[in-house]
Amino acid sequence: MGSAPAQIPTSFVHELRACLRCRLVKTYDQFRESGCQNCPFFKMDEGNERVVDCTTPNFNGIISVKDPSRSWAARWLRIGKFVPGCYTLAVSEALPEDLQNMCEEVHVQYVPPKRA
Amino acid sequence: MVRRFDDEDDDVEEEEYEDEEEQLLDDEDYDVDEDVGRGRGGSSKKRGRSDFIDDLAEEDDEEDEDDDDEDYGGGGGRGKRHKAPRDGSQFFDLEAQVDSDEEEEEDEGEDGFIVENGADIPDEDIGRRMHRRPLPLREDEQEDVEALERSIQARYARSSHAEYDEETTDVEQQALLPSVRDPKLWMVKCAIGRERETAVCLMQKYIDRVSDLQIRSVIALDHLKNYIYIEADKEAHVREAIKGQRNIFGAKIMLVPIREMTDVLSVESKAIDLSRDTWVRMKLGTYKGDLAQVVDVDNVRQRVTVKLIPRIDLQALANKLEGREVPKKKAFVPPPRLMNVDEARELHIRVEHRRDQLTGDYFHYIGPMMFRDGFLYKTVSMKSISAQNIKPTFDELEKFRTPSVKGEGEMVGLSTLFANRKKGHFMKGDAVIVIKGDLKNLKGWVEKVEEENVHIRPEMKGLPKTLAVNEKELCKYFEPGNHVKVVTGTKEGATGMVVKVEQHVLIILSDTTKEHIRVFSDDVVESSEVTTGVTKIGDYELHDLVLLDNNSFGVIIRIEREAFQVLKGVPERPEVSLVKLREIKCKLEKKFDVQDRYRNTVSVKDVVRILEGSCKGKQGPVEHIYKGVLFVYDRHHLEHAGFICAKAGSCCVVGGSRSNGDRNDSFSKIGNFKTPSRVPPSPRRFSRGGPPFDSAGGRHRGGRGGHDALVGITVKVRQGPYKGYRGRVVDIKGQSVRVELESQMKVVTVDRNFVSDNVVVSTPYRDTSRYGMGSETPMRSSRTPLHPYMTPMRDPGATPIHDGMRTPMRDRAWNPYAPMSPPRDNWEEGNPASWGTSPQYQPGSPPSRAYEAPTPGSGWASTPGGSYSEAGTPRDSGSAYANAPSPYMPSTPSGQPMTPSSGPYIPGTPGGQPMTPGTGLDAMSPVIGPESEGPWFMPDILVSVNKSGEETHGVILEVLPDGSCKVALGSNGSGDTVIALPSEMETVPPKKSDKIKIMGGSLRGLTGKLIGVDGTDGIVRIDDSLDVKILDLVILAKLP
Repeated sequence: MGSAPAQIPTSFVHELRACLRCRLVKTYDQFRESGCQNCPFFKMDEGNERVVDCTTPNFNGIISVKDPSRSWAARWLRIGKFVPGCYTLAVSEALPEDLQNMCEEVHVQYVPPKRA
Repeated sequence: MVRRFDDEDDDVEEEEYEDEEEQLLDDEDYDVDEDVGRGRGGSSKKRGRSDFIDDLAEEDDEEDEDDDDEDYGGGGGRGKRHKAPRDGSQFFDLEAQVDSDEEEEEDEGEDGFIVENGADIPDEDIGRRMHRRPLPLREDEQEDVEALERSIQARYARSSHAEYDEETTDVEQQALLPSVRDPKLWMVKCAIGRERETAVCLMQKYIDRVSDLQIRSVIALDHLKNYIYIEADKEAHVREAIKGQRNIFGAKIMLVPIREMTDVLSVESKAIDLSRDTWVRMKLGTYKGDLAQVVDVDNVRQRVTVKLIPRIDLQALANKLEGREVPKKKAFVPPPRLMNVDEARELHIRVEHRRDQLTGDYFHYIGPMMFRDGFLYKTVSMKSISAQNIKPTFDELEKFRTPSVKGEGEMVGLSTLFANRKKGHFMKGDAVIVIKGDLKNLKGWVEKVEEENVHIRPEMKGLPKTLAVNEKELCKYFEPGNHVKVVTGTKEGATGMVVKVEQHVLIILSDTTKEHIRVFSDDVVESSEVTTGVTKIGDYELHDLVLLDNNSFGVIIRIEREAFQVLKGVPERPEVSLVKLREIKCKLEKKFDVQDRYRNTVSVKDVVRILEGSCKGKQGPVEHIYKGVLFVYDRHHLEHAGFICAKAGSCCVVGGSRSNGDRNDSFSKIGNFKTPSRVPPSPRRFSRGGPPFDSAGGRHRGGRGGHDALVGITVKVRQGPYKGYRGRVVDIKGQSVRVELESQMKVVTVDRNFVSDNVVVSTPYRDTSRYGMGSETPMRSSRTPLHPYMTPMRDPGATPIHDGMRTPMRDRAWNPYAPMSPPRDNWEEGNPASWGTSPQYQPGSPPSRAYEAPTPGSGWASTPGGSYSEAGTPRDSGSAYANAPSPYMPSTPSGQPMTPSSGPYIPGTPGGQPMTPGTGLDAMSPVIGPESEGPWFMPDILVSVNKSGEETHGVILEVLPDGSCKVALGSNGSGDTVIALPSEMETVPPKKSDKIKIMGGSLRGLTGKLIGVDGTDGIVRIDDSLDVKILDLVILAKLP
């Protein structure tokens, strides 16, 4: 599993956003610059609007995974196949519907967050 | 493709066989097997989970048959899978997986645990993960095959982003539960507020040093401050990783038990559902904790505009705006108050009225602040408000009610309240009203509740049978008169009757406090239950008298969530304070007696009237007495749960007012002296007066022999726990004396040496002393044969007689003059009609009236079976009654039916039943009511007979006219028949599930079964009617 790790957030509180699909956590700027490593089809690096749509600042908890495939926690959280990086345990919002459709188009599963 | 399938399948089958063997050998390695099984499916007992392998097997249909046979009933999931197309990628996975399986199995063979050495990366984790990988593909399988095939290429070309498409069913998740072979979670302390940072830093450290670090992940939870979790196989790895991290305090590394590992990660995604009208609370600043209503949400910039009640100090603002000196320190937070623009202008604050560009609404602007209708409109970060579980209180919402948009606005605000409703809020049969939409104000009843929609049966005709309405558009509906129970909110638990409905607000008259409570109709359910809400916290219950911290005391008049409302023992004015549990020192349970204004003794339960103060004229029983302060309960008093606090000196015992007392006093003297001569000698008749003291006394003295003159005398206890108490001697047994305490209405046993009989009674008790002297005459109750049994058998507090004593008449009973008078009255006047006209006599002396009533009928004597007719005694008791005011008098058998309850009855029906010859006393007792009680022996009941010192059981066969009974000895009546005097018998108290006979009360004579005991009450199921009654245990006799 030698995939290159995602960028590590450079800020810890403000501007942190989580990808609504894979829950990768980066800063807004990082998303804007290089998009989401797990979900390149969102093409976040191509438009600021996209970043806003695909990510959320409302998430709960952070897990940084060195090697997702070898981490039980990552597997449990279903991020075991993503690139190493910082993820969140749960996002608070669902992906907008059009983006959900996009996931379907590229045959990527989207699991909406479980609501309490 | 086909060829490949075949190959694949062979592989799989082989694998399966292997696997089965393995399983047999290796049963304890269940976890592993299960995982392996999941990979290859067929062999695993957990068929249900290993679906995908079936797919593989199915792939080539014919060959598959074999496979099928091998399956233990695994076909369940197959049918549907047939139609599922699949994409080739599965096979890649499978091949990979088979390989790793083998590896893994080898591993297992060697040792259960993998030795981590950095290089040994492809351990079982990878293998296991890979097994799982094919699982999610099923989702894809549902899709078009071609599309899938096309996508596969694309996907695998772009392997840099492995797509993650596992199916997240609960079962699948279950399979991921941590096992002993997974890395463990360790909890490490870290600097507060640095949790996220630490997690990220460790990630950075990992990247920098590549595989040097052997920890697997770092978890920082938002809700857990001061700690982070590190996933690693060994504690040493954790130590290594946190070395040099300044935010981690690694002194203590705690292992998270496997069972709790999933809990760490199960974080519910906060459903922040901010929308217009949502109620939120401010988290920071001046408005911290304040309720606010969302007016606008900007999701992109993560900002919300909320409506608040401003907390603005206008004066300070004016100062500031005018550049005057502003005191730096903010000593206080201004109270919330709606902004009054005119007021602001008066202070020369510039208020602009202009249009907001974004919303197009007009606002008043003071500097950057926007106001409308007095509310402050403030745009804040979403982070600075909390929207979770906001439950605005009633008062807060009241304040938010804008006068201008009352009605509609209120309802809108209300509907957002419903967001916090629990599931199952509506139940079938609930009356509801639609509050929103086209059907607004339509009433109906809930028929069915679905997820979000509630099907209601509308009240109005001409509408479909049921309508589906969103639950947020519904509100519970109540009508005045409904009896409801509050189920949520601060008033939870209270019950009461709806007295007014104001839209969604109900005004309820509480059952307990008789106060009006305002609640949301949403918070209540219809219920016939009458509870007092919470009536107890800790050891303290509603209406208890408690001692507080500062040595004040009071009665608990209301129990709130965590505090008590206590009516303080301050007689001057009602003082209520809210007291926390810990502020209560103890419960005051000791019963004191005090003297009222006229020096009458007041005990708990006496009815008193308040003579002065704000509550003048109120009247009710005394509930508590402490330090000369009475707590009187008047149920007509609507404040303080009906409790009134008054000084004993400003009350008088009702029924014993002074003037009457004086009169009675004189009567009593006369009574005392005159009665004897009047007593008809016939023992067979109920006489108006008592028998001559002397003769009766003589007999008794003789009869009982050995009893010394102490009996009946008022004595004072000199030593022991009852030291200082005064009472009348009722019995003497060897060295001990049984003394009936004057103040406590109970009979206690004291050592004979501890009592002194020269009680010099001071003035107010002169009467009492005379009464005491009078009681030297033997017919003072105790000598009557039955009496000794009566008294001890009863629980003094529980019997009606004593109740009688507590009721107004009690006073008379204690004041000898009172009861004396009526007999005299009647005898002398001989005019029954006057009974009713003499009010003070009525309550005071029911017994004597009772005697009056039956007198005319000489048939009394002939009444068989009645306890009245015991030869010899009636006269005595009668005389005793007439003469002796002792409260214990009523306990003589003849006295009993005459106890207070007969008072009201007699005047109402002069010459009623008791006069009817032949009706007998038996018949009389039920009439007189349940209050008249006592062990009146009846046939069939089991008694314990104490003859000549031997105690045996026996069954009463017959009650003889003289009160003695024919008893068949033996616990089932099989032995000899003897005649026993009442004094020699005692009923056998029944136990639970005994058969019983009711000896007294309106149900006298009926039999039943004792199905339960509650304190002094027995719960009886009557045989005839199968009714369940609660009766005093004393009147229940065990049947053999």
